[in-house]
Amino acid sequence: MKGKRVLIINRGEIAIRVAKALNELGLVSVGVWTDNETEPPHLEYCQEWVHLSGSNNKETYLNIPKIMELIEKYKIDGVHPGYGFLSENREFSEALAKKGVTFIGPNPTAVYKMGAKDISKQIAKEAGVPVVPGSTGEVPTVEEAIKIAGEIGYPILLKAVAGGGGKGMRPCYTEEDVKNNFAAVQREALSGFGYAGLLVEKYVLNPHHIEVQILADKKGNVYHVFERECSVQRRHQKIIEEAPSPFIGTDEATRLAICESAVKCAKAVNYDSAGTVEFIMGEDKKFYFLEMNTRIQVEHPITEEITGVDLVANMIKAAFGEPLDFKSQEDIRIQGHAIELRICAEDPISMLPAPGKIVGFETTFPQGIRFDHCIYPKFTITPDFDPMIGKLIAKGFNREVALRKVRNAVDGLIIDGIKTNIALHKVILDEENFKKGKYSTNYIGTVKPQEKVAVKEEMKAFMLKVAAIELNQVGGKV
Amino acid sequence: MRYYFMNQDMQDFALDVEVNRDQTMTFIHEGHKTNLHLKTLAGKNYYSFDGIAWKKLAALGVNEILVSNSEIYKVYRGFKPSGLNKGGAGALITQMPGKVVKIFKQEGEKVAKGETVLILEAMKMENEIKSGADGVVKAVNIKEGQALEAGFLMVEIEE
Repeated sequence: MKGKRVLIINRGEIAIRVAKALNELGLVSVGVWTDNETEPPHLEYCQEWVHLSGSNNKETYLNIPKIMELIEKYKIDGVHPGYGFLSENREFSEALAKKGVTFIGPNPTAVYKMGAKDISKQIAKEAGVPVVPGSTGEVPTVEEAIKIAGEIGYPILLKAVAGGGGKGMRPCYTEEDVKNNFAAVQREALSGFGYAGLLVEKYVLNPHHIEVQILADKKGNVYHVFERECSVQRRHQKIIEEAPSPFIGTDEATRLAICESAVKCAKAVNYDSAGTVEFIMGEDKKFYFLEMNTRIQVEHPITEEITGVDLVANMIKAAFGEPLDFKSQEDIRIQGHAIELRICAEDPISMLPAPGKIVGFETTFPQGIRFDHCIYPKFTITPDFDPMIGKLIAKGFNREVALRKVRNAVDGLIIDGIKTNIALHKVILDEENFKKGKYSTNYIGTVKPQEKVAVKEEMKAFMLKVAAIELNQVGGKV
Repeated sequence: MRYYFMNQDMQDFALDVEVNRDQTMTFIHEGHKTNLHLKTLAGKNYYSFDGIAWKKLAALGVNEILVSNSEIYKVYRGFKPSGLNKGGAGALITQMPGKVVKIFKQEGEKVAKGETVLILEAMKMENEIKSGADGVVKAVNIKEGQALEAGFLMVEIEE
């Protein structure tokens, strides 16, 4: 494996994370940058760079023929896709396989099977993993819907087949509700998505989003690296994650059950890399398979922090057929608690992206903070890419310590020139329900921490700005 | 020196600062005075409001914007842009970054239209900055040797 040349088809903090792992393992990290990235901070950690010409993602990070050209020209042995972009693209991993280039990720068949929602659900079911109970296909009539609801039990969800993003669905608590809502959801589905077909599904109240990290090698060994709680979400995107899950807490039986279910799903598709099996868990701690992400995930660091397992390095080793850093499931243990805050270039109140140019960046962190980021003065956040610019991760002896550390760390994180969600994180970390670990995916929608973000800036902030400018006038010194 | 902060809705407020000789700055906002202590240690600047508890002054600030949770303020040192329109011939504003070489007129002095008020070095050339109106010098916001950014109001002349 040593000396192999690996191309990183990604940018930002994940490109840095992957480059670090490659360098550490003695491989050659090759980075890319495109025409609309004038200050690409991820190249700092790469040993070589190649230019991926073009100024939109279709011409660059998603352009398979152009990437294949680079691979040939620069004699690349392997590719790490990071997350997003081509990380779960079967066409890409097949193209690489044809050229004999190692794709650092799972085999194309696993990507395909887990990528298709209906197939993945069927696979989970066959593997003996619970899926959200519901109709097996479209439900044509209201009578049929009532019949299925009776079988799976109320509350149920009437859901548009073509729906998504929380639209085209309504919860029903009684037979009466189903009668009243059926036609209305059909109309919504038709007007919103152009197709009136409906599904009936069990409605999980105040659900938790809990996912299990999987690590597997090419010899058929599949391990779980415990769970993560990712229930603080906005627009169905996570903003705070923690491991282990405070909701599962000390319930080791549930922890074991969900982790073993994840292993079953991975084994069913001959999984051979790092991946994540996502579940939805109800208030009764019953859990159901949602989907499997066949890539490294944004929130992987919290798992690394509580287990000491380097997921990215092991993912690379697995891809090149090398043995993993551990020998059995028993080698992997949870020690302590970790919390991750996603730092995004966005308005802390509306939570909408706010691109701009970073002009100042300073950190004063407590002991034991990990900050995976791509923040540099002069770094411009363009609207072309995801607004996430860093991940602040704190590990503590227990949840209380991790919380204390991350709260102090976020106070010591100063990013100037752009709007960030740092102020929102402070409000959430100080909020009683979050502090107690009592929150579900409805947290942002019901507790509304964004409404408690201070609207008025303290006069102190203006004074410090003036002081900094005045000092700059006299050469930066008092 | 007077600073103006202007938000997206063009609402602004002023904050005055006096740089003192004893490593302090005095801020005046709506009649309230606040003292800020400053220190440079190992190349970093530190601040304190009470002279006892110190914090690092982030090396920000050199850009002309301040981003708060809900607003983005533009920061103007010594002038506010509404003055650009109103000020007319009596407002001497830098057209490009430069350095003040010499000031000929002080506050309170009479000045005639076309008279040289100061010399500004820009692009390696000395430029005579002349008054655009007859009047009295109301304010001199600059010192000799000072480096200025573009758009800076150097001298205000009352017609």
